[in-house]
Amino acid sequence: MLARVANNLYWMGRYIERSEHVARYMHVNYFSSLDAPNELSQDRQFVLRSMKFMVGDPANDPDEILDEIEVLHDLGLNSEKGFSIINNVKSTRENANSARDLISTELYEAINKFYHFVLNYDQDLYVKRGLYDFCVNITEMTTILRGKIRATLLHDEVYAIIMMGMNLERATQIIRIINAKYNDALLARNGYDQDVGKSFEWITLLKCAESYDMMRRFYKKSPSSLSTLEFLILNGSCPRSVMNSLDQVSKHIHVLEKSKNPSKDSAAFFIEKVRAELKFKHIEEIEGNIRDFIETKLNDLVLIADKLEKEFFNY
Amino acid sequence: MITQTNPIFSCYEYNDGLYDEVFNAQGETKELYETLFKLYCGHSIEDYMQLNNKAKSSFFNQGITFQVYGEKETKEKIFPFDLFPRIIGAKEWDHIESGALQRSRALNLFLWDIYHDKKILKDGIVPMDLIGSSANYLQAMIGVDPPGGIYNHVSGTDIIKHSDGEYYVLEDNIRCPSGVSYVVCNRTALKRALFGVFNHYRAHTVTNYAENLLEILQSVKPKGIDFPTCVVITPGMYNSAYYEHSYLAKAMGVELVEGRDLYVENDFVYMKTISGPQKVDVIYRRVDDLFMDPLEFRADSTLGVPGIFAAYRKGNVCLANAPGTGVADDKAVYTYMPQIIKYYLDEEPILNNVHTYHCSRPEELKYVLEHISELVVKPVDESGGYGISIGNKLTKEQIAEVREKIKKEPRKYIAQPIMSLSVHPTYIDESQSFEQRHVDLRTFTLLGDKKDFVLKGGLSRVALQKGNLVVNSSQGGGSKDTWVLKDN
Repeated sequence: MLARVANNLYWMGRYIERSEHVARYMHVNYFSSLDAPNELSQDRQFVLRSMKFMVGDPANDPDEILDEIEVLHDLGLNSEKGFSIINNVKSTRENANSARDLISTELYEAINKFYHFVLNYDQDLYVKRGLYDFCVNITEMTTILRGKIRATLLHDEVYAIIMMGMNLERATQIIRIINAKYNDALLARNGYDQDVGKSFEWITLLKCAESYDMMRRFYKKSPSSLSTLEFLILNGSCPRSVMNSLDQVSKHIHVLEKSKNPSKDSAAFFIEKVRAELKFKHIEEIEGNIRDFIETKLNDLVLIADKLEKEFFNY
Repeated sequence: MITQTNPIFSCYEYNDGLYDEVFNAQGETKELYETLFKLYCGHSIEDYMQLNNKAKSSFFNQGITFQVYGEKETKEKIFPFDLFPRIIGAKEWDHIESGALQRSRALNLFLWDIYHDKKILKDGIVPMDLIGSSANYLQAMIGVDPPGGIYNHVSGTDIIKHSDGEYYVLEDNIRCPSGVSYVVCNRTALKRALFGVFNHYRAHTVTNYAENLLEILQSVKPKGIDFPTCVVITPGMYNSAYYEHSYLAKAMGVELVEGRDLYVENDFVYMKTISGPQKVDVIYRRVDDLFMDPLEFRADSTLGVPGIFAAYRKGNVCLANAPGTGVADDKAVYTYMPQIIKYYLDEEPILNNVHTYHCSRPEELKYVLEHISELVVKPVDESGGYGISIGNKLTKEQIAEVREKIKKEPRKYIAQPIMSLSVHPTYIDESQSFEQRHVDLRTFTLLGDKKDFVLKGGLSRVALQKGNLVVNSSQGGGSKDTWVLKDN
C-alpha cells in the first residue's frame, strides 16, 4: 500500500469522525440549552461561546456579543473556516478520491452522497430552521460511512489505517468536548447550581458523546462530574470513551507493526504506553487535576499521530 | 419524412439523407432491433424520463464524472448516458474485430520499424519527411527494444458507419486512449435501469476488460521476473480521466500511483509503500510520454519520475503504451494505413480508411484550399476533437480563416470528405423525446506478448446537439451501451 495513499485514508477517517463530533456538539448544546435549568446555561451567548471554544476558535473578548447566524454559519457551512463541517466533508471526499481504487464502490458512493448533501444544503434554511435537520443528517451519514467501512472493506492494512485515524480523532474530540463542557460547568457554577459536581452541563456532555443513556444504565443514578468523567475517559466498554478509542488504535496498529516487540521509538510502543497509563488510572486522580490531564492526553495523542506519520506516511 | 406512430417514438423524425441504425428507409424497424423496439414501446415517455433521471443520479452519486479543462472553475459533469442501446450483430462484429486487430498489429510493426531499421521509409512506402517532421517521433526511442516487442499495448480505434452502410476508421488512438471505464459503467447503468431487456438478447460481457488488461501487462514483464508487480500511473485526481484510472487499478487489483510515489535507483523503479520501497515491473501509463521523465523529456514535468526512461531503456521496467507511439496515430500517418497494413502483414485492410488529402502535397493542398466548404479539416497532432473545422458548417469568413491557417502550416493539416456518421435514436432531455443523433464507435484492442484481445463492445459516442458530427465528451457528447451479440 502506498504511503501517500495510506496518509490520505488516515485523514479520511479523521475527517469523518471530526464532522460527526462538531455536528453533534452543535445541536446537542443548542437544543439542550433552550430549556436549561439556570439562566447562564440558557443564555444564547453562553452556548455560542461554548461551540466556538470546542472547535478551537474561542471568543476571547468576554464583552463581545456574538452573532448567532454568523457562528452557526461558520461552524456549519462556511468553507472559509478550516474547522467548519463543510470543510471536513470536502476533505473527507478529497482524501477518499485519491484512494478510490482501494476502497469499495459502496463506501465511495456513500461518501459522495454525504458530500453532495452538505454542498447543496440551503445556507439560509440552515441558519434559520435547519440546524437540527442538518446536524442530525451529518451524524447519521457518518454512521452509514462507518458501517460501509466495517462491512464492505477488506479488514487489512487499509481498514486498520482508517480505523486508527477515526479512533485517534475520536479520543481527541472526546477530550476536547470534556474540556469545553468542563469549562462551561465552571462558568455555570455562579448561576443556579453552585456545585460543579452536579452541574446540568454533565448531562449535556454525555449527550454530546452520545453516551447519556448507557451511562444511566451503567451507574443507575444521575450523572455527577466523577461518574461522567469516569465513564467517558476510563470505561473501556463505553464505545466513545478515550480508553475504548485507544484500545482500538492499539488493536489496529498491530496489523501494521509486524514485530512482537516493537522498538521503544515506534508508534506501536508509544500507543501501548499511553494506553497502559490510562488503564491503571483511577478517576479521583484525574478529577482533582482535570486541566493537566486534558493537556497531557492531547499532547500524547499528537505525539502518536507524529509517530504514525514518521513511520508509515513519510513518503 | 416518416413519423413513427408509437408514443415513445411519436416525435421521431426520419431524415432521408442519413443512415439510421434502427429504422430502414421505409421507417420499419430493422430485424436486429425489432424485439428491443417492441419492449421499449411498452414504456410511456414518462416512465422513460423517470428512468433517465434515475440513471443520471446513479452516475452522479457514484462520482462517475469528468472535468473539462479551460473553464474557470473546473466543474464536475456527468458523462451523458443514453438508455437506448446500440446493437451490433455477431457477423458485423467479426468484421470490426478482425479489422481493429489487424490495424493494431500493423501499427506495432510499423513502430518497431521506424524506431529501428526504417525499412518502410527506405522503401519509399511512407515518405521519410512525414516521420522526420512529426513532433511525436521520439529520438530517445531509437533502437530501444520494449519488453515483449510491443509498443501499442492498448489501442482505441474510432470507427463510423457511413451513409453507404460501410464501416470506416476515422482515427487510431495509441497514446493513452480512454473511455473503457464508461463502457463498463454504461452496461451497469443500463442493467440497473432496464434489466428486463437483457433477457431477450445474448450480449457479450464487457467486464472482462480489466482481467485481460492485467494479463496483457503481465505478459510484457521485464526479463527474469516471474511475478511482475504492475501499477497504473495517473497524473492525479484532477485529471479529467481520473475516474477511469482508479477504476482500472481497482478492477485489476493493482496500485494506482502518481509520479511522486515512484523513484528510480540504479535503474530500477520503486514505489514508496507503508512498509518501505517495493520494486515495480510494469507500468500502465496514463501520463503523456513527454511528462513521464523530467530528465529525458519535459524538464518542467512534475507528474513524471526522474530516471524512469533510463530504467526503461535498460529493460528493467515496461511502460505501456511505450513512449513515442504518438508518431503512428498522427493523422497524416493514418492516411498511409492501407499501405502500412499491406507492407507488414501482406493483407488487404479489413476496415476502410477515409480518403484523405495531405496539405503537405502541393496538388492536394490546392484542392483542399478550393474545396474547404466540402471538407473536414483536422490538425494532424491534436486529440479530443479540438481544432476540427467542418466545411458545410462554416461561414465565408470562417472559411477564409481556415484557408489562412492551412497556408501558414500545410504540414499541420489534413482534410477528408465530410463523412456522414450513422444516426441512432437518442433520448433528448429538452424535447423529452427520441431524436436522430450521430454516433461513432470506439473499440479497444489489447496487444501483448503472444496474446491479444479485443473488447466485445465499445464506446458508442453520441453527438447530443442536433446535426453535430463531433462526438467527443469534451465537446458535449454522450454515450450508449453497446451490445455485441453472440453467434446463434
